[in-house]
Amino acid sequence: MSKEIVAMILAGGRGTRLEALTAKVAKPAVYFGGKYRIIDFPLSNCANSGIDVVGVLTQYESVLLGTYVGAGSKWGLDGNNSLAAILPARERGEVGATWYAGTADAIYQNISFLDQYDPEYVLILSGDHIYKMDYADMLAAHKAKGADLTVAVLNVSLKEASRFGIMNTNKDGTIYEFEEKPKEPKSTLASMGIYIFTYKELRKYLIADAKDESSKHDFGMNIIPMMLNDGKKLYAYEFAGYWKDVGTVESLWQANMDLLDDKELDLYNIKKDWKIYTEDTLSKPQIIGEEASIKNSLVTQGCIVNGDVEGSVLFNNVYIGEGAKIVDSVLMPGVLVEEGAEVYKSIIDEGVVIKAKAVINKEAKEVQLVSDNAR
Amino acid sequence: MAKVVGIVNLHSDVTYKGLTEKRPVASVSFLGRYGIIDFVLSNMSNSNLDTVGVLIKEKPRSLFKHLGSGSSWNFNSKSGGVSLLYNEKYANNAMYNHDINNLVENIAFIEKSKADCVVIAPAHIITTMDYSEVVDAHMKSGAEITMVYQKISNANETFVGSDYLRLKGKQVTEIKTNKGNRKERNISLETYVINTKVLLKLIDYAKKISSFFDLKDTLTYLCDERKIMAYEYRGFARCIDSYEAYYNVSMEFLDMDINTQVFKSGWPIFTNTNDTPPTKYLKNAKVKKSFVANGAVVDGEVEGCILSRNVVIGKNAVVKNCIILNGSKVSPNAHLENVIIDKDARIEKKKELIGEDGPLYVREGDVV
Repeated sequence: MSKEIVAMILAGGRGTRLEALTAKVAKPAVYFGGKYRIIDFPLSNCANSGIDVVGVLTQYESVLLGTYVGAGSKWGLDGNNSLAAILPARERGEVGATWYAGTADAIYQNISFLDQYDPEYVLILSGDHIYKMDYADMLAAHKAKGADLTVAVLNVSLKEASRFGIMNTNKDGTIYEFEEKPKEPKSTLASMGIYIFTYKELRKYLIADAKDESSKHDFGMNIIPMMLNDGKKLYAYEFAGYWKDVGTVESLWQANMDLLDDKELDLYNIKKDWKIYTEDTLSKPQIIGEEASIKNSLVTQGCIVNGDVEGSVLFNNVYIGEGAKIVDSVLMPGVLVEEGAEVYKSIIDEGVVIKAKAVINKEAKEVQLVSDNAR
Repeated sequence: MAKVVGIVNLHSDVTYKGLTEKRPVASVSFLGRYGIIDFVLSNMSNSNLDTVGVLIKEKPRSLFKHLGSGSSWNFNSKSGGVSLLYNEKYANNAMYNHDINNLVENIAFIEKSKADCVVIAPAHIITTMDYSEVVDAHMKSGAEITMVYQKISNANETFVGSDYLRLKGKQVTEIKTNKGNRKERNISLETYVINTKVLLKLIDYAKKISSFFDLKDTLTYLCDERKIMAYEYRGFARCIDSYEAYYNVSMEFLDMDINTQVFKSGWPIFTNTNDTPPTKYLKNAKVKKSFVANGAVVDGEVEGCILSRNVVIGKNAVVKNCIILNGSKVSPNAHLENVIIDKDARIEKKKELIGEDGPLYVREGDVV
């Protein structure tokens, strides 16, 4: 089965700065937005862009993620000509057991998977970014330019630029230099970690990189500089829209709060029909009790709300007891808030029970994470 | 262990006015995210039946789409599956379009299943019945036919027009129509366990007595000749046999004491996913005592309502005791009470709609 393009999602990251939230799950499996896991976004983007063979490269806590992605039926990728394939770091015949040493090494170790599909192009994605993007448009740009590599970039503020990998470009969009977290950025075009490679070039560079013992086997640090050095055609593809890499508890909280503002991520397909697919939980509709009040919030099926909820995001099967008060918080699946408890500016992890009349983070200066897991 | 297959019988003579103009009762939206048929299918699934036939009477389009491969109800094992049994021959011939004729047309389903017995149940009677318990009792009694009933004490108000059973011990001696003139009745829940061989004989027999005889008529006719056992079901049961009953039973579910009898752990109600985002409550939302499905956007006052997927309640609209189906929009400042709004309708021009004697109905896709 040959394919024009195959997507590879890098989903092995630990996400250490998410603290207890990633104590037992990989960062791409972290919950987001009332009913999703972060990896639903790149997977749904692939499905909606007509990319139907997707490899998911896993390493840290790969079992839950592997079970969740399965054969890809949640995203409609389980047909005769489509597939979501879990590609964990593993023992292989020719080299024995290996871990993925870097982003490029992870793809290198799966060259035989890619070769099966004889793709002209390979799309490399991160499993832990939240955004809606039509990769077909990016592929069209890649083809129109006859590029060897197209890098999706986001125009960030000058202040933020030193937190990102920055692409310095000529007027025609060609990249002449890549700088990782520059102290004095020359440009504000930040790499989104989304790459389209012409596969025969990618294959050549991955093999060369694997032989280089001094390499960190990273796309940004090794592959891109090598290609620039060889005078390959690298283009920046500017993306305008909501995009977030939720690295910390604070930024995960903020990304959830962004959903309460219509101007940000368009989950309701107001501008474009672009559904984000996810697991369907077997829960009843949400039930709002007689004494409840809900404002400026997202609430999912299976919730029972008997208290006051404001500026918050409630995942499936959350229970809010009578007289409880939830303000500016994210409550993950199965959280039980007993009568009269108060929760402010917090992320409450899956299955946590907040005891009756408990008060969490009333000061509400910084985001508080409450979890049964330790990190 | 006996091999059992399930048959959902949609040949009941039940309609819900406008709601069933273009769709069968089975696929009418219920409680925000279900179709009426989901309850009987979930019961079958939870009772470990994996081969199910659906006897479709009419208007199959929405039902075909809803059921798909049956995987939402776990009927996708290699050995089982869901079969949509449609009787095209008599589709437009009311007197002949009954369950016996449908079974005759689709007899291959029963023959190929190699089942020892079948469980037959309707969609419009909502229960959480464990059919495996009924089958066990059926097997133990050695009966050829078992009918499930419930003892009710408000037969003057509900199940009017349904059958009731006269019993001698555990045996059915007579089947009669509930005319609503008494409170205490053993109401038939139109749920039967029948040995496959006996069912095949019944079908032959029915045709000989009358071409218009359906399964109910045949059982009524035969109950003094054949031994029919009665099985008492004591769990939740509601009969949604009219537009008014649809509204009343829906509203009853807003009571936690009622809905927890149906939505209980270990007995999931399955349906197919629509991949809708969470419901968004905006700054002017005031919601009380309601069922809300995903994908809705609420910026008004909602009380005692059932809102289905993707419903939009505009800013400062007031909506009370309403059932609003998928994708309908209520404009800002509108005032609605006791209204059922079918799918994808828009309340734009009319700022006040109040159902005085029973719930008003707004048709699918209408703009009012």
